Amino acid sequence: MPEGSKMKKPDVKVVLLGDMNVGKTSLLHRYTERKFKDTVSTVGGAFFLKQWGPYNISIWDTAGREQFHGLGSMYCRGASAVILTYDVTNWQSLAELEERFLSLTDTANQDCIYAIVGNKADLTDPKAQLSHDSIGVSEDQTQCEEEMTEPQILSACPTPPASPESLSGLILHKQVAHEDAVAFYGRILRYKGLEDKSSLPPEKMCFETSAKTGYNVDALFETLFDLVLPSILRKRNENQESPTVDLEVCRGAGGRRARSTCC
Amino acid sequence: MCLQIVNNPLQLDCLERSPSSPAASSGSVSLGVFYGTRKEPPPPFRLSFPFRCLQRVDALAEMSVKAFELVPAVERDLLMGDKARINIECIECCGKHLYVGTNDCFIHHFLLDEVTSSKGKLSYSPQKLLHKYLGLKKPVAELRAASALERLIVLCDGIVFLVDMVTLETVPSAAGGGAKIRGVTSFCINENPVNGDPFCVEMGVLSSKRRTVQIFMVYEDRVQLVKEVTTPEQPCAVSLDGYFLCLALATQYMILNYNTGASQDLFPYNSDERRPIVKTIGREEFLLAAPGGLGMFANAEGVSQRAPVNWSESVIGAAVCFPYVVALDESFITIHSMLDQQLKQTLSFRDGHILQDFEGKVILASTKGVYVLVPLPLERQIQDLLASHRVEEALILTEGAQRNIPKDKFQILHKRILQQAGFIQFGQLQLVEAREHFRKGQLDVRELISLYPLLLPSSSSFTRCHPPLHEFADLNHLAQGDQEKVLRCKRFLISYLGEVRSTEVANGCREDVDTALLKLYAEQDHDSLLDLVASDNACLMADSVPWLEKYHKYFALGLLYHYNGQDSAALQLWIRVVDGDLQDSTRSDLYEYIVDFLCSCSNQDLVWKYADWALLKNPTLGIHIFTKRPVCKDHPQLNSDDVITYLGKHSQALLLYLEHLVLERKIQKEKFHTHLAVLYLERVLSLLSQSPTDEQQLSSARDRLQSLLRESNLYRAQSLLGKMENCEQLLLERATLHGKLEEHDKALHILVHKLRDFPSAEAFCIWASSCRDSAYQQQLFHMLLGVYLDSTSHPGKSRTSAEGGSGDLEMAAVDLLNRHGEVFDAARVLRMLPEGWSMQLLRPFLGRAVRASMHACRTSQIAVGLAHSENLQLLHDRLKERKKPIFVSEKKGCHLCHNTFSEPDVVCLPGGVPVHTHCVAQRGSGTAGLPTRIHNNSNNTDAIFPLTAQPAAAAESRAEQRARLLKQQRTASSSISQLVVTGRKPLLAPQSPMVQCV
Repeated sequence: MPEGSKMKKPDVKVVLLGDMNVGKTSLLHRYTERKFKDTVSTVGGAFFLKQWGPYNISIWDTAGREQFHGLGSMYCRGASAVILTYDVTNWQSLAELEERFLSLTDTANQDCIYAIVGNKADLTDPKAQLSHDSIGVSEDQTQCEEEMTEPQILSACPTPPASPESLSGLILHKQVAHEDAVAFYGRILRYKGLEDKSSLPPEKMCFETSAKTGYNVDALFETLFDLVLPSILRKRNENQESPTVDLEVCRGAGGRRARSTCC
Repeated sequence: MCLQIVNNPLQLDCLERSPSSPAASSGSVSLGVFYGTRKEPPPPFRLSFPFRCLQRVDALAEMSVKAFELVPAVERDLLMGDKARINIECIECCGKHLYVGTNDCFIHHFLLDEVTSSKGKLSYSPQKLLHKYLGLKKPVAELRAASALERLIVLCDGIVFLVDMVTLETVPSAAGGGAKIRGVTSFCINENPVNGDPFCVEMGVLSSKRRTVQIFMVYEDRVQLVKEVTTPEQPCAVSLDGYFLCLALATQYMILNYNTGASQDLFPYNSDERRPIVKTIGREEFLLAAPGGLGMFANAEGVSQRAPVNWSESVIGAAVCFPYVVALDESFITIHSMLDQQLKQTLSFRDGHILQDFEGKVILASTKGVYVLVPLPLERQIQDLLASHRVEEALILTEGAQRNIPKDKFQILHKRILQQAGFIQFGQLQLVEAREHFRKGQLDVRELISLYPLLLPSSSSFTRCHPPLHEFADLNHLAQGDQEKVLRCKRFLISYLGEVRSTEVANGCREDVDTALLKLYAEQDHDSLLDLVASDNACLMADSVPWLEKYHKYFALGLLYHYNGQDSAALQLWIRVVDGDLQDSTRSDLYEYIVDFLCSCSNQDLVWKYADWALLKNPTLGIHIFTKRPVCKDHPQLNSDDVITYLGKHSQALLLYLEHLVLERKIQKEKFHTHLAVLYLERVLSLLSQSPTDEQQLSSARDRLQSLLRESNLYRAQSLLGKMENCEQLLLERATLHGKLEEHDKALHILVHKLRDFPSAEAFCIWASSCRDSAYQQQLFHMLLGVYLDSTSHPGKSRTSAEGGSGDLEMAAVDLLNRHGEVFDAARVLRMLPEGWSMQLLRPFLGRAVRASMHACRTSQIAVGLAHSENLQLLHDRLKERKKPIFVSEKKGCHLCHNTFSEPDVVCLPGGVPVHTHCVAQRGSGTAGLPTRIHNNSNNTDAIFPLTAQPAAAAESRAEQRARLLKQQRTASSSISQLVVTGRKPLLAPQSPMVQCV
């Protein structure tokens, strides 16, 4: 975690939702640390503060396990963007999104942005198998190989995040087509009552990613951040109008101003 | 599987880590359970088999930090002795005062004194002050102190009432208000009340049967209901902060603002399955027990701002002691960090059932005793983390503690931790991270340098920091003999030092840094060595010289000598390399480098000393020392005469130097020119004397000589001529010299008669007259023509010298005339030419001569015509000018004295400017020109006086008229001369015909 991240107030909240073992933690990990490594089932939830330009974005990684389901709506409260994640090799994971997770987003902001993400694309799509992250590639390879020698702790998982098949290039059957995700996105908009408005097009908001190879991961997060920017600015404006003076913000702003004048 | 590997050392380690834990002392630590609380999988094996056991032990050590120590406060014998059925029900701590409520309806009051032993170990000495039976025969369920009121709020048998803090006597109800609340299941105190009254306490109360929360104000002798809010379900636990009630209902948690009535559901929870926990942990932030054994954080808006911590399912109590969350279950105290949500420490604790924090002090109670969970100093916790190489956690803890430590102290601590973290990562060869931490921690780079044997200069005063930042003796210790690692570390240091040497980190130890860098560069054969020694550096000579010699970096050493002002040493060293005494292949062109070096060397003694060597080695390049010296003010120039004297024995170099002076720098000094000419001549003569002569060399040598003789005007021609007098092969040169001496006849004679080289003769004429006027040129050409014709007109003479050559000369004469006809005076030529020459022969010459003369004639006619017309024009202008009236009035001022005119008599200056007569007389007394004088007889001073038709003229006598005319004539002439001087080009002389016109 970057230093001092605990001290800063996040400007905006992004939440990752989805059934267990679809790869939410891996996606976040790939994005923040440029690596893919074995993760364990998330307990409760975790969050990461991303410094994105001058903004702090908190990304909440939630637990997919049924046990922690009740906490979901709390994590979603006040969220500006929700990433609904499924596993392209697992039809049920998409169905679960609709059945269990969609209702959790009721507590999110009115103008919340939704993204549908089909992870583990590397298992079904040859073009997602190419590594898309130049920084972490070699490390990943060695790391994966190292882990291969380990006893498979996670063998009990229905779809292990790093399945050995993918290394040998075996293509699994794709259970969720892109069109299914697009259709689901349409249903979300209907559910939210947003369909008539100038809502974002499904082509833009439905992603297929691979946390393992990094395929589309940066695109996903960067697209979302760009889209939540207006929300950040509005929130900052509101804070400025509020009678409470946030000393942290003032100090930060003052410092910035001082710097800008001397340049 | 892990546990099978675990052996005795592990158990010992475990026991040692919780020495004061009661369970540990009873020897009943269950490793299985201990391990079961871990959520992470065991770290992978990285070492080969013999290390495995060791690695396992490390793995366990890795998981725990010692953040807290459990210290007994009040033990069984002091509370209940050996009465088995008496249990502790609740506790309250207020400063040093500890109150314990028991199940037999007693309150015990203790004074707790902290005692620190000589070894720094903390313990408590409890002193029992009082115990009091409350008379209800029921357990004392809850106790809370309201210290400002000196009251204890007691919940016993469903009744809340007040007890004096000192006497423990029940406070009787005041008149007009009760001091008791009945039917209470639970209550909480608002630590952060919105109401600012310091002499009352705000309390949230849950009743047994009604689905409400009541807010009471507690005063010294009464309680007052101020608010009642209903809840959707029966609440079973409550916490209060500001206006916000955080409630555990039967099936969920919720936040309720008792002021506005607004509520916010948090998350579902089954209070039948698990006892809910609701703790205020800060301003409007609560810690809740969530399903799945989580500790969830929620703020008043119902948002979680921290990630949850992962407890066991059966947590009984929890508290926050920043940055840790402490939780108690049936057998363990677990300590999680709020910063990274990880489990940091587990302490075994049997029969625990109370865990509460009082003003930052965490107190636990089992049924029989009270314990304090004492946090270890932060620094020690961090050091423990670092000792187990948990760099990230140590840093998170350090940074998380920022707000609890004074700023300056924090900065020192933070830096040190960063540095230590850097060294740990350095030891693991995580060099990128290490660099980042060194940089952020502003590491004294010498700490790092000192790891590498021999790098620090022997004179360095550096000693490693104490306590040490790392555990390594040196690089070899760190790398365990792995040369690959050593190399990586060295490369790392190279890049790190390169990065910091120019920053403030290197302040005060630049010598050490630069010297170390130099050593590394030399050893690693790094390209930047030369940049380092040649540019601004602080390398210590005493260390650098032997080191560079050891690695045969003589060139670099020379540069270092140079940087330190020891040019002589540098040159000696380099010369030895060039001469092959020393081996250093850094520069294959070291000789040229030395020449360049001497060339720009400002120390003349050095130049004189080493130029000899350079010239001997290669005169052509060596002479650059003198010829290529940069010309600038602060660079001392060498005296050319000294150089020439010095170069005496290096003839080739001398020649080059003189060429440089004469031809390139164009120094106009007779001495150099003569010297160079003599040297050229000597060279030519020596080539001529060789047999066989090398024609190519000879011709190039002659070319040079000839061109110098032609171009230069400074050499002593006479003496040169003397030197080649006898040499019949150098006729052209001799002709040139004669030309220089203005002995053109001799020169032409040689060219025409001896060399018979007519083109050269022609060229000679052009050359010799190149900077002269046309008359001189004409004279020369006539002379040449004369030489050509002479021999033909004296056939007898010419025949003796060159038989049958007269025809050639005639032809040359004809060619000369035809080619350069314009130079000649045609009339003179015609007179000179022999009668017998045909017109046809001279046609081009004659044609051109006639045309030229015609041209000249017509040109002059045009000029005359133009002059005439201009004259006419001027005449016209003058007349126009004079016809104009001249105005004189009292308002007009005289241009000379600036006074107004009072009399009609004025004098008119050229251009019609009227001035006073006396002014002109005054001024004009010395000058030649007289302005026009106007006699104005009219009284009207504003009258107009046209000069040509003056009204007064009729009255004038003839004599006057004549005189006036005469005067006018003079005036006109002078006015013209004025015009000529001031306005136009002097086309007309004053004595022009115009004067007669007037």
